[in-house]
Amino acid sequence: MGRYIRSRLITAIPVFFGITLLVFLMVNLAPGAITDLMGEGAANDADRAALEASLGLDQPLPLRYAGWLAGLFQGDLGQSYFYNRPVSRLILQRVGPSLLLTGSGVALAVAAALPLGVLAAWKPRSVWDRLAAALSLLSFGVPGFVLCLGGIALFAVTLGWLPTHGMYAAGTFTSLGDLLRHLVLPAGVVCLSSLGELVKQTRSACLESLGQDYILTARAKGLTDRAVIVRHAFRGSLVPVLTTILSHIPHILGGSVVVEQIFGWPGMGSLLFSAISQRDYPVVMGVTVVIALGVLLTNLLLDLVYGLADPRVRYGKE
Amino acid sequence: MKKLTALLLTLLLTLSLAACGPSQDAADVVRYGMSNAWDTLMPYNSPSGSNYTRIVCDKIYDRLAYVHADGSLDPRGASSWESADDGMAVVFHLDENAAFHDGTPVTAVHWADTIALMTDPDCPTLARSVFNVLAGTDENGAAIEGETLGAEAVDEHTLKLTFKSPTAPEDFLLDRNREFYVLPTHLLEGVDPAEVMDLDLWEAPIGSGPLKFVEELPGSQLTLQANPDYQLGRPGFDTLVITVMDKSNLLPSLMAGDLDYYAFGGNLAADDRQTAEDGGIEVLEGTVPNSFYELMLNNETISSSAIRRAIDLALDKEALCLHTTQGLGEPTATDLTPGTAYTSSLTWSRDVEGAKALLEEGGYEGQTYTLACTSNRSGLAALMQQQLAEVNITVTIETVDSATLFSGMAEGKYDMAIASHTPGALPLWFTESRFSTGNNIFHVADLAPYTTLIAQIKAAPGGPERQALVDQLQELLAKERPFIPLWFGRTLHAQSPTIDNIDYPSSSFSNENVWEWTFQAG
Repeated sequence: MGRYIRSRLITAIPVFFGITLLVFLMVNLAPGAITDLMGEGAANDADRAALEASLGLDQPLPLRYAGWLAGLFQGDLGQSYFYNRPVSRLILQRVGPSLLLTGSGVALAVAAALPLGVLAAWKPRSVWDRLAAALSLLSFGVPGFVLCLGGIALFAVTLGWLPTHGMYAAGTFTSLGDLLRHLVLPAGVVCLSSLGELVKQTRSACLESLGQDYILTARAKGLTDRAVIVRHAFRGSLVPVLTTILSHIPHILGGSVVVEQIFGWPGMGSLLFSAISQRDYPVVMGVTVVIALGVLLTNLLLDLVYGLADPRVRYGKE
Repeated sequence: MKKLTALLLTLLLTLSLAACGPSQDAADVVRYGMSNAWDTLMPYNSPSGSNYTRIVCDKIYDRLAYVHADGSLDPRGASSWESADDGMAVVFHLDENAAFHDGTPVTAVHWADTIALMTDPDCPTLARSVFNVLAGTDENGAAIEGETLGAEAVDEHTLKLTFKSPTAPEDFLLDRNREFYVLPTHLLEGVDPAEVMDLDLWEAPIGSGPLKFVEELPGSQLTLQANPDYQLGRPGFDTLVITVMDKSNLLPSLMAGDLDYYAFGGNLAADDRQTAEDGGIEVLEGTVPNSFYELMLNNETISSSAIRRAIDLALDKEALCLHTTQGLGEPTATDLTPGTAYTSSLTWSRDVEGAKALLEEGGYEGQTYTLACTSNRSGLAALMQQQLAEVNITVTIETVDSATLFSGMAEGKYDMAIASHTPGALPLWFTESRFSTGNNIFHVADLAPYTTLIAQIKAAPGGPERQALVDQLQELLAKERPFIPLWFGRTLHAQSPTIDNIDYPSSSFSNENVWEWTFQAG
């Protein structure tokens, strides 16, 4: 197992740098720069040139990438062009709220999707199956921003139950109740957005398991339906379900861009969104590093978890 | 499975209870929304130089005057001002009650030292060119060694600014007031100018404005506290919390009572008027233009002035204006803001046949032009495309973001682009910065005729003499048509019942009268 992990980590290194190079080229070759955003009438070419020089944008691309890499090796993600603050500090300020929002949204989705998917597979064409189909349709068919604005219109503007934005009420001391009130709508949207895929995956994996010989054997042994489903069918379907669940980890790390932006939630997604429109390359690169590491580690974690979920999986020569 | 279900139900119950709980908004907290973030709280170190940064810095730092949307001026950091040295200088009499948030009185030395520091070539000031009107600076606003800088503390409360050319106080303030802030230079003594921008002071700034800094989450939220000692009066609330959120959520938040106000001026799209009124929001109609729309032209790729004039005649500005402003705008033939001291006799009317004749005169051979616009103006661009097709001009539309649009025009990638601006009260508010070698965004081959007239207008004392020169410039622009003025638009302002006394239109000059706001918690 140790050897397997080492070899996976070694292969992840070039992939990681490949990702950073690709993103670096994409953001730097995209039209427009932060200097184009300088206020109208208040800046001339000399001002723009001075800003370019101070940010190092007048240097050739390879030199800038090398400089960024050199900083990365020293644990320095650079300085935000827009906020003039260390990128690592901006990310640290934002990563907690993102983990809370998307983490709770995905956790809710998992908690709802697993039993619903299993029930839908167990009792096809039942009310559970129809509910699973309806939720999947809602989740896949309605874009995130519509869910956000619809939720705001219904629960905040019309009913007045929930706040429209932010993480806490303005000017108050933070409290758990206040945080939860602000979390309900955005987390609900994240939950709904993830639900469809999770329900469908759980349902189809369970259905496939239910047709296997070992299920027939379990039934022949006289096990109850509940025991067959929970102990055998569900466990047998865990690998694809786990893949789907763990594939949400980068999403959790990176935040949900649309949801955070609309709800004014101070997470990584809204940071990334504004950094792209502001051409704040160091922040885009910093967030990319966090997401890329998340993806690579998730993939490794997935492979390791497969072994626990499915005894047939073996690592290397073990 | 039972445990999982129990956990899920507990979580849902907790969330439901929390959701049904009372609102915890504190009293006397004004909740202020913004669709874009400020970049810095150090006003001379703003890479974006955006109005979002200006409107935030306006609250923490003091400026010399308060500029109303109609171009009239009120005292602020300065109680009064007058012209001096035959119009080459302006003397400002500073308010003697002004003080920084740490209690230090604001003096003329603070103002003079601020300008000296920001014009110091070693100080990495961004957009330093705002100082280039002052004597002793170069065209980029940097102090010239050996020359006397045109910022002098005559006595403790008298500041004298000396200019390179005759400048009326009103001209200076209308043009530059929003860029001039006083810094707490008493806290910067002994600091190397090269390192001024890196000080921690700017993360928790001390200014002398109507609000004091409390805390900030960059790009997301800023909390400010009323300055009880502000010389123009204490704001009528305790705390102001600025939150960045998506534009689409501003009006719903106002209607839900989660916001009291949003920048700029609670601007409301005409399409949203009914929704706002149905939601209990009072809608006010703007009294002065707050937007100017233009069609930027690339004079290099559309090199014939006849073709540029043909485009002008082919566009139905009335229909375009109606489409965008829903009746809150007027088509224009010039960039002179209606309601200000400067007018033009030039008029506009659509003339399709005239446009066709001009195209023939200009030798148009059926080239396809690229029209760039931002996504929210794609409908407007499509209308323009249809109107230009009536005179057989083919246009392809490229929808891009704002930064790409302006960089594309600067690089000559696009032939046309739709842009809008906040209009100014001065006759050169639009032309001066765009017809300069440093910012020739229309790619005009020979700038000399424009720059000569612009210099003459700047030097003219005002009145009929200046108006005559303004007329000459407008006639030149109409003849050459380097850009196409489209219309001036007014806006609607959404007013929450919780807050009053807001001078909505003046936010277009990046200042807000927060010391006069009154607040009644909802």
